[in-house]
Amino acid sequence: MGQLGYLFAANAFVWAGILIYVISLMRRNEALRRDLELLKETLEKDSDK
Amino acid sequence: MSEDLDEKGEDSGINWFLWGLTLLACLAMVYAIFIYVPTEKQEGLVQRIMYYHIPSAWLSFFAFFIVFASSILYLWKREREWDIYAQSSAEIGVVFCSLVLITGPIWAKPIWGTWWVWDARLTSTLVLWLIYVSYIMLRLQTGAGSMRARYSAVIGIAGFLNIPIIHFSVLWWRTFHPKPKMITPEGFGSGMDDSMVMTLMVSLGAFTLLYFLLMGQRIRIEKMKDEIDQIKKERLYSH
Amino acid sequence: MKSYLAQIKAIIWKDVLSELKTKELFGSMFIFSVLSILIFIFSINLSIVNANDVGPGVLWVAFIFSGTLGLNRSFTLEKENGCLQGMMLSPADRTAIYFGKMISNLLFLSAMEALILPVFMIFFNVDIISVLFPLLLVIFLGSIGFCVLGTLLSSLASNLKTREIMLPILLYPLVTPVVIGSVNMTGRLLAGEKLSEMTKWIGLISCFDIVFLAVSIMTIDHILEE
Repeated sequence: MGQLGYLFAANAFVWAGILIYVISLMRRNEALRRDLELLKETLEKDSDK
Repeated sequence: MSEDLDEKGEDSGINWFLWGLTLLACLAMVYAIFIYVPTEKQEGLVQRIMYYHIPSAWLSFFAFFIVFASSILYLWKREREWDIYAQSSAEIGVVFCSLVLITGPIWAKPIWGTWWVWDARLTSTLVLWLIYVSYIMLRLQTGAGSMRARYSAVIGIAGFLNIPIIHFSVLWWRTFHPKPKMITPEGFGSGMDDSMVMTLMVSLGAFTLLYFLLMGQRIRIEKMKDEIDQIKKERLYSH
Repeated sequence: MKSYLAQIKAIIWKDVLSELKTKELFGSMFIFSVLSILIFIFSINLSIVNANDVGPGVLWVAFIFSGTLGLNRSFTLEKENGCLQGMMLSPADRTAIYFGKMISNLLFLSAMEALILPVFMIFFNVDIISVLFPLLLVIFLGSIGFCVLGTLLSSLASNLKTREIMLPILLYPLVTPVVIGSVNMTGRLLAGEKLSEMTKWIGLISCFDIVFLAVSIMTIDHILEE
């Protein structure tokens, strides 16, 4: 692997690592937000009854 | 870290500002690393990896300091808020620490000929990584509640206080090893070109913004989890 | 003050007495040390490596591994018999419980180390007698560090389901400075250097001992909480 190869590998790992983590955080965020919405809705429906 | 969700749960202006600023900083960093800064004479292209390696190390250190401070504050005030900060910062700290441990060998192989060198920086970072991974493992093994928060706070405090001791013990352990006469991972200041210092600063800035961005996201996740648990508990008791 | 010391003494005495009766902990620690040394010797290619070069390292690995065994057993026994709850219900100061456990752990570890040293002397053909006093000091200093942090963490880990694996996972990374320093000093002592040339390592390990003693005292209350 030439010098450029190593540089490319380092870049790949850094940016892939950061992106993967950011995306996983965003997905967890979204999933939880949906759950929260759903829960709040059912709570409202219950209190309406 | 302020709650930046408004009533409808949408991201407020501050959040978008942080996203935009971070993105800008990252672009500036990439520009600086690849276009702006000149190639180092001795090490060549590979030296540019240092602009990722060093700021990652600084940020992981900063993250672990936040874990330390938050852990102390938790044990003192016993407020869940501090436990959330400690947990989030530890996770993000491990991410940055992992980047240090990955970029280190990738830099070392073309420069020193081996993937791993038992030098002070890499070895200390490895030990630090293990400490904070053990922190996370501890949290995974315990259920939500004060026990988890208290126990991980103790590790958070012990881990950080150990950093200087670990640093010196590893340093003295390896002093007899001749250091290669190139810009080492410690290289900063002496003999460094101004543009290199500038690039390093830009990278540091970008990574710092990234830290705060990730913290915001992670903290929000924990707070939402808490809210969900809270609602579920209320429902349980009202039925 | 007097009652505080009495509390500590009571805990140490309890541990020592129960150990003298059953001898299970001590015996297993000793045998485990010998086995650790054996395994390491077998794993080394003695035609390439001089056994004396790896001696100090092997010795401390044996200490750490069997020390961990001792720490684990110490608190697990408490949990099994409900002793820990009993101690916490008593008006004993939490830090007294910590000191009591820490000192009894240190006693067991030191006793085992004292027995292992002759074995080490024989297996590795080293002259310990001429450096006995500095060597004992080094071993004691390192053992204190190990027990100070180890007792804190084993009181923590004993409340987890995976306590036996979590103790090493939490303890070993934190205890690396003690291991590095102790192995370094042991090796150099055996090679003939004087203890006065190693003051910076002594300072480091002492610093470690003091810092983590302070941390333990300040956080033990938060761990031994009902």
